[in-house]
Amino acid sequence: MSPVDTETLLQTHVPEVAFSTAPDALVHYACDWTRFHTPQAEAVLWPRTTGQVQQIVRLANAIGKALVPSGGRTGYSAGAVATAGEWVVSMDKMRQIGPFDPVDRLVSVQAGVATGQLQEFAHAQGLFYPVDFASAGSSQIGGNIATNAGGIRVLRYGTTRDYVAGLTVVTGTGEILRLNNGLVKNATGLDLRHLMIGSEGVLGIITEAQMRLIDPPAASSVMLLALSSLDAVMRVFAQARGKLTLSSFELFSHLALQYVMNHRQLAAPFSGESPWYVLLEFDHASDTDEDAAMAFFETGLESGDIEDGILSGSLEQARQLWQYREGISESIAEHTPYKNDIAVRISQVPTFMRQLDAVLKQHYPGFETVWFGHIGDGNLHLNILKPEDMDVAEFQRQCEAVNTHVYGLIESLEGSVSAEHGVGLLKKPYLHHSRSQTEIALMRQIKQAFDPNGVLNPGKMLPDS
Amino acid sequence: MKILVPIKRVVDYNVRVQVKPDGSGVATDGVKMSINPFDEIAIEEALRLKEQGKADEVVVVSIGPDEAQQQLRTALAMGADRAILLQSGEAVQPLQAANALLKIVQEEQPELVIMGKQAIDDDNNQTPQMLATLWDRPQATFVSKLSLENNKATATREVDAGLETIEVELPAVISTDLRLNEPRFVKLPDIMKAKRKPLETRPLSDVTGDFSEQELTITQYEAPQPRQKGVMVESVDELITLLKEKGLVA
Repeated sequence: MSPVDTETLLQTHVPEVAFSTAPDALVHYACDWTRFHTPQAEAVLWPRTTGQVQQIVRLANAIGKALVPSGGRTGYSAGAVATAGEWVVSMDKMRQIGPFDPVDRLVSVQAGVATGQLQEFAHAQGLFYPVDFASAGSSQIGGNIATNAGGIRVLRYGTTRDYVAGLTVVTGTGEILRLNNGLVKNATGLDLRHLMIGSEGVLGIITEAQMRLIDPPAASSVMLLALSSLDAVMRVFAQARGKLTLSSFELFSHLALQYVMNHRQLAAPFSGESPWYVLLEFDHASDTDEDAAMAFFETGLESGDIEDGILSGSLEQARQLWQYREGISESIAEHTPYKNDIAVRISQVPTFMRQLDAVLKQHYPGFETVWFGHIGDGNLHLNILKPEDMDVAEFQRQCEAVNTHVYGLIESLEGSVSAEHGVGLLKKPYLHHSRSQTEIALMRQIKQAFDPNGVLNPGKMLPDS
Repeated sequence: MKILVPIKRVVDYNVRVQVKPDGSGVATDGVKMSINPFDEIAIEEALRLKEQGKADEVVVVSIGPDEAQQQLRTALAMGADRAILLQSGEAVQPLQAANALLKIVQEEQPELVIMGKQAIDDDNNQTPQMLATLWDRPQATFVSKLSLENNKATATREVDAGLETIEVELPAVISTDLRLNEPRFVKLPDIMKAKRKPLETRPLSDVTGDFSEQELTITQYEAPQPRQKGVMVESVDELITLLKEKGLVA
């Protein structure tokens, strides 16, 4: 369709909806944080209400046009990219927040409300919205729900799913569903709300949500510990879980620490060198908490699992300690890392890391592997750095081969090929390593029920049949 | 040489404080409390002087509730040798604090008192100057660089016009500015060891007597007005018209 035809079509059938066909807008709105696909959208649309989204979906069905629901586009799996002349349905103009009910502790939000905006709103009510990650300023609630976003406090507070009390969704046929309506208890059959959460825009467009807010957390501190071995990591985690109220338990290797120190010009946190480090954030509001923290540390020190440790004395020091963990991704970026975001059961983490390390050493002896991750969630970030003397294409080719080993191992350990970044286009070819053929077939049937004409985010998540 | 470091327990610098609904103060329930950041710098400086062999004992003192023992323990874990808590459940004004510290100075006879230039809760910036005056000793305030030689302290001060370097004779009071140093992390094994270091507690009233006459009462706390949203104007003329309407230009 020529731009003029598209404009005429939109002006005629959805006259209230703002849109653009300007080339720079099309490129901007066709991309997320992945950079593997060529952006190609036909138009970007900015509805303001659920009713306008309904009009768009009905028009798309009538003319057979594909739609890409679009939030903050901060995803890492190409779930929100437009690559085939789709219309991008942006939630950028759906940013209304409220009303808030203090008895229910529920706030109604439109899908385009930024995660950070909801956090701020909760703070102003003396409450707390716990889902948080680096992109909170630009990511949107609609996208958070569609990917069941996790982040840095999952260990304590769970994922976005745990805070969705109600949803308004426009299905692929243009029906408006109001799901669960903020109820706490509702045992009335299949909960379609939970089907929508994590559905990556292939079943319906989430337009509004009722989000649950909770009490703010107690004052916390950060501990950075030097550990003697990988087995010690799991024992220390079990101890920490038993004795402290944890909100984070993060792991990184000595190699990761060296990259961060070089990149950010940070001083070594410890005088000695240990193979593994863990960063814990835990409730630290009373003398009882302090005693528990010290008892935990002493136990680990006596058993030899813990070699040294630092405790933050202020929130500023807590931030400085977090830098050793949060700076890793950035510090290895210049080495063109091959990245993978995977999950196994927490107890399987050392097995997975050992087996994969062995495979890498045997088949790819020139590769340097940087491990870090949210160990408390069984979520590992595997980063393989490109050897300096290897060209990028050859490195990518070899990494594709590494995938076979990584995903094969994940399959044998019943893990997940995408812990928190979703499937989108990127992980679609590997979905079968984590989900059975029967499951995938059922997913297709569900897709068919919600979106028989396939207008919503076609090509994403479900493998090509 | 002995160094005395007065420290204060305050709401952590990074907490976004909220005024209680009845306006009687700032909400502190469940809020992170820390050593006043300027005081933390003072502790660090004292410890560095000790590590350079310029001092042989670092004593920390705080005025505050029993919970302030946590902050004193942190100072001991950082490396201070002894701690004193002057217990007070009430807010203490700078003059009373300076009088109490004077008593401790007279008992301890330090050659140097290093303290934060101000506490970040009330931002008074008065106690170091008052202590120096009551003690009748020299002071160097807002110090960003410090060295000790021959019973003299050479201090670089941050002043409006730039930097100024002065020399004061010991004993003296030094008040610290942010750029003096970066405080160390506390090692967990040192926290364990710090439990065995002496921490003496005494009621503040034993030291200063009744101070009710100087009492200053804060009647009401209010949060600052939220910033008004900005307005985009199309032209200079429109800007001038708007400014005139608001009475900001004649």
